[in-house]
Amino acid sequence: MAYNKPIPSPGTHTRPFWDGAKEGKLMLPRCKDCMKVHWYPRFICPFCESMNLEWIEASGEGTVHTYAVQHLAYGPWAEEAPYVTAYIDLAEGDRMLTVLRGVDASKPEEIQIGAKVKVEFDEASDDVNIPFWRVVEE
Amino acid sequence: MTGEISKAAAIVGAAEANQIGFLEEPVTSLQLHIEAIKNLSVQTGVPIRSIEGVFSTGWSSELCEHLGIQPKYIDTTAVGGCSFEMHVHHAMCAIHAGIIESALISHGENGFSARRIGGRGGGNYGRGGGISSPGMEMSMAYGLGGAPSNYAHAMRRYMHDFGTTTEDFAHIAKVTRDWATLNPRAAMYSKEKHPFGGPITVQQVEESRMIAWPMTILHCCMVADHGGAVLIASPKFAAGLDTKPVWIAGAGESMGHSNMLEMEDFTKTSAHLSADAAYTMAGLGPADMEMAQIYDSFTITVAITAEMLGLAPRGEGHTLWKDGRAAPGGKLPINTNGGGLSFNHSGMYGMPLLIEAYRQLSGTAEDGVNGDAGKQTSARTCVVNGTGGSLSTTGTLVLVADD
Repeated sequence: MAYNKPIPSPGTHTRPFWDGAKEGKLMLPRCKDCMKVHWYPRFICPFCESMNLEWIEASGEGTVHTYAVQHLAYGPWAEEAPYVTAYIDLAEGDRMLTVLRGVDASKPEEIQIGAKVKVEFDEASDDVNIPFWRVVEE
Repeated sequence: MTGEISKAAAIVGAAEANQIGFLEEPVTSLQLHIEAIKNLSVQTGVPIRSIEGVFSTGWSSELCEHLGIQPKYIDTTAVGGCSFEMHVHHAMCAIHAGIIESALISHGENGFSARRIGGRGGGNYGRGGGISSPGMEMSMAYGLGGAPSNYAHAMRRYMHDFGTTTEDFAHIAKVTRDWATLNPRAAMYSKEKHPFGGPITVQQVEESRMIAWPMTILHCCMVADHGGAVLIASPKFAAGLDTKPVWIAGAGESMGHSNMLEMEDFTKTSAHLSADAAYTMAGLGPADMEMAQIYDSFTITVAITAEMLGLAPRGEGHTLWKDGRAAPGGKLPINTNGGGLSFNHSGMYGMPLLIEAYRQLSGTAEDGVNGDAGKQTSARTCVVNGTGGSLSTTGTLVLVADD
């Protein structure tokens, strides 16, 4: 089935992220001066104000920081409700939003904060792959 | 910063639109603004065209044109529901600087009517996005919708960190509804006024419709129609009026993030910073506060904010409601109008906070607005805190009654 959810339009400085996603790689921005990874992508390092930034290929691993179950949803997402959304602490640092996979939205108490997750990609269009995170066994 | 700016200005009047709530006949946001401003002018005796400063969430030029005001000072700060507390801060600074003597702060938002005729409150907080906002670009794919979809993440994390339960938060909704049943202007005043109005139990909160787990609908504020306006004035200007001044002893503002992706600790907001600034300016602290008006977009919002304002220890914000301190007859009344949860919330709730604080501290809560009296408390000091965006921006005021 064709992907029917909202698809982001790549910005001017985020192209390496979307190019990586197209190849199944999670690319993250990192500051070459303080060496910290940040998310979302910036023009300036949010930690040290350096503009000397690079992209690195990330491990695609992380943990669940917090989550919620969306019962009231809009547009094409309404068809999937209830579904779980989560903020993911990336192994390399900083945090990413996702719709969380590998969990049961009808049993939210069983989802663990701190659970290990891995990234996977959905082919949303010819140009855009979207990363999603899935809870994996320890 | 402390000292001479404290009480450099006062709120000298507060009024609402002719009708607020879930209005049968749709209204525009502009109508709600104009009715409130006219009522404010009648209440204070200050002609609209004589007002020198105009503050609103993006509406100021349209309001000035519509009303024939030639302002000396224009502010359009629009950073979510706390914008109005910031407007008070900004107006106070402009008055203290000697640029203006009087300032109008106005709000009109047809949150309910907009479902039928379009509209809403202006200001485009968080509406960036597309190619200009990488934060939005990296969030928009993930099925978040209205405010509850994001705030639920904070409630879940808070429950994890502090061991609180949804039942703990449900007490906030129950007690806030108790206040609404004392206020005929509240949308949820009674079953006669609204099918879901009247008293509620903690169990009903727990068992109501799930919106974004762990939040049921009774953990969430309503979206109705509201218009309101307040007049800020210098001490000299205030002395010439018949209405009572409520003094702005302290004011502060801050923000933690814009996009929730950047919220480092989901259990804290920047209100501890805006509150520190306001308390310092006032030379007062949390223990001096006899009442609080706190933006309760969701039960989690007001619980966290109470902690940030120093009214409760970390992890214990909800106990203010659970043990009755915040309830009618309690030692620290909170959201005496019924809050955004049960009084009215049009999308941005900063203005009703100001109006209720003014009414309580000026002793006019039972005089009635548009014929409806409210519940008067004996409080002489009040901390007011607005929160905007996704627990993002905060504005805090410390208000004190006239001697």
